[in-house]
Amino acid sequence: MAFITTLATYLAIFIGGLVRVTGAGLGCPDWPKCFGRWFPPTSISQLPPNIDPSLFNLTLAWIEYINRLGGVILGILILITAIMAIRRYRNIPRIIIPSVVAALIVAFQGWQGGQVVASELRPLYVSIHMGLAFMIVSLMIYITQQAYYIDYPDNEKGSSYPTNISVYIGFLWILTIVQVIFGTEIRSALGYIPSQFPLLPESEWLSKVGSTSYIHAILGLVIAVGTWQTAIKILKGSKPASYIVRCGSWGILLLAFLQVLIGAVLSFVGLPEVLRIFHLWVASMLIGIQLMLYSALRQYRRSQ
Amino acid sequence: MIWTSGVFFILAVMALLVINQARRSRAEIPILAQLPEFTFIQQNGQPFELINMKGKISVVDFIFTRCKGPCPIMATKMGELYNLYSGSEKVQFVSISVDPDNDSLPVLRDYAARQGVTDNRWVFLRAPIDSVINLSENGFKIAADDLPGGHTTRFILVDSKGRIRGYYDGLDNASLEIMKTHIRRLLQETR
Repeated sequence: MAFITTLATYLAIFIGGLVRVTGAGLGCPDWPKCFGRWFPPTSISQLPPNIDPSLFNLTLAWIEYINRLGGVILGILILITAIMAIRRYRNIPRIIIPSVVAALIVAFQGWQGGQVVASELRPLYVSIHMGLAFMIVSLMIYITQQAYYIDYPDNEKGSSYPTNISVYIGFLWILTIVQVIFGTEIRSALGYIPSQFPLLPESEWLSKVGSTSYIHAILGLVIAVGTWQTAIKILKGSKPASYIVRCGSWGILLLAFLQVLIGAVLSFVGLPEVLRIFHLWVASMLIGIQLMLYSALRQYRRSQ
Repeated sequence: MIWTSGVFFILAVMALLVINQARRSRAEIPILAQLPEFTFIQQNGQPFELINMKGKISVVDFIFTRCKGPCPIMATKMGELYNLYSGSEKVQFVSISVDPDNDSLPVLRDYAARQGVTDNRWVFLRAPIDSVINLSENGFKIAADDLPGGHTTRFILVDSKGRIRGYYDGLDNASLEIMKTHIRRLLQETR
């Protein structure tokens, strides 16, 4: 169940990214309803009189509505996960606590999404909304993995890893989160640039962002190189690595490569929306898999 | 690996479709407001109501015949449009007087003749000043504080269902060019 919820959370993050790049955030100008209705209007004649009709765009309303609907479904899935956790793992705090916290955060996330709309997409609120989504997905990965270890406690027995490798992973994880924060800063800055430099082609927007974009690029390369080194160290230096650790290492190796590639295209070619979504989405996966590796290595130490 | 690439590919295609649809939806001419019912009098003495705008695309402006400021230019621009669309019964021009005390029906008839109006594709409307202010503010969403001198110089585009689709600067050729492309698109919608 936690695994399905994790996948659903990633899908929700993707849809959220879609809302961001299509500018559908105000597709429904009110919250929690959409143009005063539980089901978005399909024509202008269904709009209530107190709402400015020039705000209505059927496509954007539906994109935003699907994001909200997805959020509600995800909330229900997380709630079910929490209930199952309470029933099945009553005495295991490392399952119960994150499950309940995830349920609380997803409820808060729903309310906070309303604040994003009410603030007319204030960049800080948008970034918090994304940060909460990352927290939810991290918790769900943690729960999935811990539940797996309870069912298969010997999973990391018989493995052996290079010393201190979990410290590297933890450090990379923190760096990646910092990197995502820089990324949101750049995204917020990009929101202002078209109005300040209306004639500037999209491919040159990044040049106006300033030092943040350079820091983001350099830190991105540092993280990528660090990730490759760490992953190769695990893959070569372990005797043998468990299935989870092996997959995770390959995962961060490939995702870090993919992320640098997408970042390079974004900075040298332009800012196609679809790549922006994937840039954020791959970042969320990278953070998730780093966390998974870290937990696996801790499980290894616990089983020593 | 193949499975993962497949998921990435499908999501990318879906995202592209959604992004494209969102972009197209923005390019559409927005529907700004529905005009309310009203009854004014044309220069020929016939009533002119909302129903007279249905089925046609209307370009509306506010004028008064004694106006020496922007009105002559607006009238010239409107006249050019009137001639430009002379081949279509689907496009009409509506000039509403903001000075009904002075602009009696004979005065409006005379004014129309001076603009070269020979048919009912360009009408000049008169109503008590309260009705004019009400229609301007509540119908066309345009402030009517300082009439007659302070009337708007905008041309307002109304579609065949009596809905406002755009506001254009009646003194600015670039703005009017945009209006012409919108008229063409609305004509396609009407068909």
